[in-house]
Amino acid sequence: MNYTSQNKKNKDDMFRTIGIKNVNELFDVIPKDLRAKKLNIEGEKTEQELLNYFSNIASKNKTLVSFRGAGIYDHYIPSLVTEVIGRSEFWTAYTPYQAEASQGTLQTIFEYQSLICAITGLDTSNASLYDGATAAAEAILLSLRVSNRNTILISQALHPEYIQTIKTYLGNSNVKIVIINVSPNGSIKESSVEAVMNDDVAAVIIQSPNYFGIVEDMHALSYVVKRKKSLFIAVINPLSLGIFQAPSEYNADIAVGEGQVLGSHMGFGGVTFGFMAAKKELKWKMPGRIVGQTVDKNNERGFVLTLQSREQHIRREKATSNICTNASLNALAACVFLSGWGDYGFKNLAEVNMSKARYAFDRIKLLDGFSIKFENKIFFNEFVIKTQKSIKRMNEVLLKNNILGPLDLSDMNEFLKNCVLFCVTEQRTKLEIDNLIKILSEI
Amino acid sequence: MEKLLNELPSSDIPAYNIKSDVGIDVKIPESLRRNLALGLPSIAESDLLRHFTNLSRENYALSTGFYPLGSCTMKYNPLINERISKNEAFTLIHPYQPIESVQGTLEIMYEFGRDLCELTGMDYFSLQQAAGAHGEFAGLLMIAEYFKSVNQVRTKIIVPDSAHGTNPSSAFFAGFDIVHLESEVDGSISPRKLKEILTKEVAAIMLTVPNTLGVFEKSILEISKIVHENGSLLYYDGANLNALMGIVRPGDMGFDIMHINLHKTFAAPHGGGGPGSGPVGVKAFLEPFLPIPRIEKNKYSEFVLNYKKSESIGRLKAFFGNFLIILRSYIYIKALGAEGLKNVSERAVLNANYMLARFKNRINVPAGDRCMHEFVLSLKLLLKNNIRTLDVSKRLLDYGFYAPTIYFPLIVEEAMMIEPTETESKEMLDDFIDVLIKIIFEEAVLEPQKLNEAPINMNIKRLNEVEAARKPILRWK
Repeated sequence: MNYTSQNKKNKDDMFRTIGIKNVNELFDVIPKDLRAKKLNIEGEKTEQELLNYFSNIASKNKTLVSFRGAGIYDHYIPSLVTEVIGRSEFWTAYTPYQAEASQGTLQTIFEYQSLICAITGLDTSNASLYDGATAAAEAILLSLRVSNRNTILISQALHPEYIQTIKTYLGNSNVKIVIINVSPNGSIKESSVEAVMNDDVAAVIIQSPNYFGIVEDMHALSYVVKRKKSLFIAVINPLSLGIFQAPSEYNADIAVGEGQVLGSHMGFGGVTFGFMAAKKELKWKMPGRIVGQTVDKNNERGFVLTLQSREQHIRREKATSNICTNASLNALAACVFLSGWGDYGFKNLAEVNMSKARYAFDRIKLLDGFSIKFENKIFFNEFVIKTQKSIKRMNEVLLKNNILGPLDLSDMNEFLKNCVLFCVTEQRTKLEIDNLIKILSEI
Repeated sequence: MEKLLNELPSSDIPAYNIKSDVGIDVKIPESLRRNLALGLPSIAESDLLRHFTNLSRENYALSTGFYPLGSCTMKYNPLINERISKNEAFTLIHPYQPIESVQGTLEIMYEFGRDLCELTGMDYFSLQQAAGAHGEFAGLLMIAEYFKSVNQVRTKIIVPDSAHGTNPSSAFFAGFDIVHLESEVDGSISPRKLKEILTKEVAAIMLTVPNTLGVFEKSILEISKIVHENGSLLYYDGANLNALMGIVRPGDMGFDIMHINLHKTFAAPHGGGGPGSGPVGVKAFLEPFLPIPRIEKNKYSEFVLNYKKSESIGRLKAFFGNFLIILRSYIYIKALGAEGLKNVSERAVLNANYMLARFKNRINVPAGDRCMHEFVLSLKLLLKNNIRTLDVSKRLLDYGFYAPTIYFPLIVEEAMMIEPTETESKEMLDDFIDVLIKIIFEEAVLEPQKLNEAPINMNIKRLNEVEAARKPILRWK
């Protein structure tokens, strides 16, 4: 393919105007011995060849009926989401620097921010971040910025890859990271937090539903954290907010999480977006872009990028972050997704997730060789099951039946040996769940 | 103007709803249950479709016109990339699927990394980083780990004053102190000035080549020698790689580590600000420090994930990188091949030089008569008419053009930074040049008021950014 327009007369005119005879002269400034030899990169395919070439590669992937979550989830994406983010006026637009020519992107980001504030109950949302893990890391950097403290407490039941990301972000710093141990019932106890709290703790970061699917008692945990005037950072699955407490209800200072569940494809875990909402007193310390409402010369409402003096293109090394990207198109998908479901549909969606997970849980726990790992805990759409069966063999059998079985947690630690994490979303039909149970019962 | 979502006609039932084929079973204790109203608007699908379609029409986009944004490389985004990346065998894949069921995805990531190595002269690439600045951050953390591994205390990063703001910011967040290097009038580096500030505490210097004024760093080999003799590393900011594909490779110039912005060089769509992808490439001696997991090919030609890298900086995000963006860029490379990519750079540089040639005798160009893929004008002569570059840029919107990047790089007074990219025709360039000349030499003189008030023809007039920051309204009431 060639995506440039070719016209010999034009080219000659351009050469003449510049005063050159061929295009090579434009590169004369580059030392001759530095010039690249002919590169070995295969290509020059036509559209049709590309389609066939990539269909062939795609056939080496397998799409499966998923009972696996752990951070990325199979949810229904309404038609309107696909239609809107498919509009080239959105996907081929740049960061809205020239506000007057970018009101579409700016207004939808403003709407996105408003919707994130609505579901979290917090005052301020930025325009989105890279993903849930980096949003968690940025929330911690924010907490360090607003305090003179140097210790971070992290729930052991935070997604392991989020913990790893946070550790990488703080890798070349002297910040002290303390892991709060999860109790045998799969959740974080107030006493476990209390035991490690001190006056140097900038923030405590807790995930709910946690990595094991359990909804934490965020109210009680937040209370313990606030007594030491530390910030409480909640990592949440936004879909769970249809029925579970909003971060504002338990006095969280910052809420972050993975936005993929709000209208983005799984796509091997990319691309997604992270959201961040915070109390209003933190807005000048937030990372990333923020859109604000203003007026034009005729006093008409309009939208602009704002609070930009936080950002790297103005403050350079004194900026609140180095970020100059928001996952705008995925945030737009979330904006469409949330407005498409509305109050009633969103709550309903959360209820169906919880109910289907509960339906599967109630049946799997009764099977021979399977048992409950964490008794009497409330979970959203994921749960842990202990099994005496070979997990490897179980998942192999399921794969043969085109099913993505639960995630094996055995390698996490001794306590989770022989445990698996199931996920059941609204996408799974009763028939599919019953079939899963039938196969499990025959293993 | 279009109403906000919460002002649209309210419907008793939302656009979408869901049925359950199992009984609703939601027993939640009071202490965990949501009591706060959700506050999501409920709107019919038809009203929502109109709303978002109308908003899309308030957007300038590559599909509607020319984006001469310097430093942003707003090149065309081929449609086949979109079509292929919507294949369900790519979109409906869970990141924790068994390795044998994601061989296609891993093959693409592996092969893309190999092509990037060939193109840049680096030995290994990590594709995990979600944006260019994320790549910078990863690269700088690797530099820190490298010096720890050789027991050297190096705490400083040199950044030229012509660099993008992300460079000093990324270095700061990676734990370094920043040393500023004053660049020459054309943005280039003086080896003499560099030597003066190059102490044993310097871990690396970050350079953008061509620099942000569109000038190739002619002393690059000398700079490389000076830096390496000091035991420091050379970092390549790939923001301007679109000028050099198939022409010269960062690895051959002496760079040890680099990042690429896929939306700039490899035609990934910009999406209104993201998502992005920022691969990081390194020479072999830095390979142990790359983020985990690494995608490798085993002796049976299967693609595998290797987490066993004890010296790695760790991971930069959850999962494996923005695969659906990486896929689009890999399709782009397969569409063009080595020869096509070289043509891209040649044409990008030709287009920029043509524009520069038409401007250079009339408008101040601090960096001289020739450029690579972009160039910077200084409109300071208009200040006497009480006209700023901002006014000129807003007036361009009236003529149906997006404005070039303005007030960057910081070393040029009243800067206007123009980058046409390879995918614009001569006719489009001429139209833009004619309009800009008209604005600067006719309107600015005869009707300066018009420029101060621009845009005039847009649906929305000039927006008050000062007020927006002074009294922030960041959500609807």
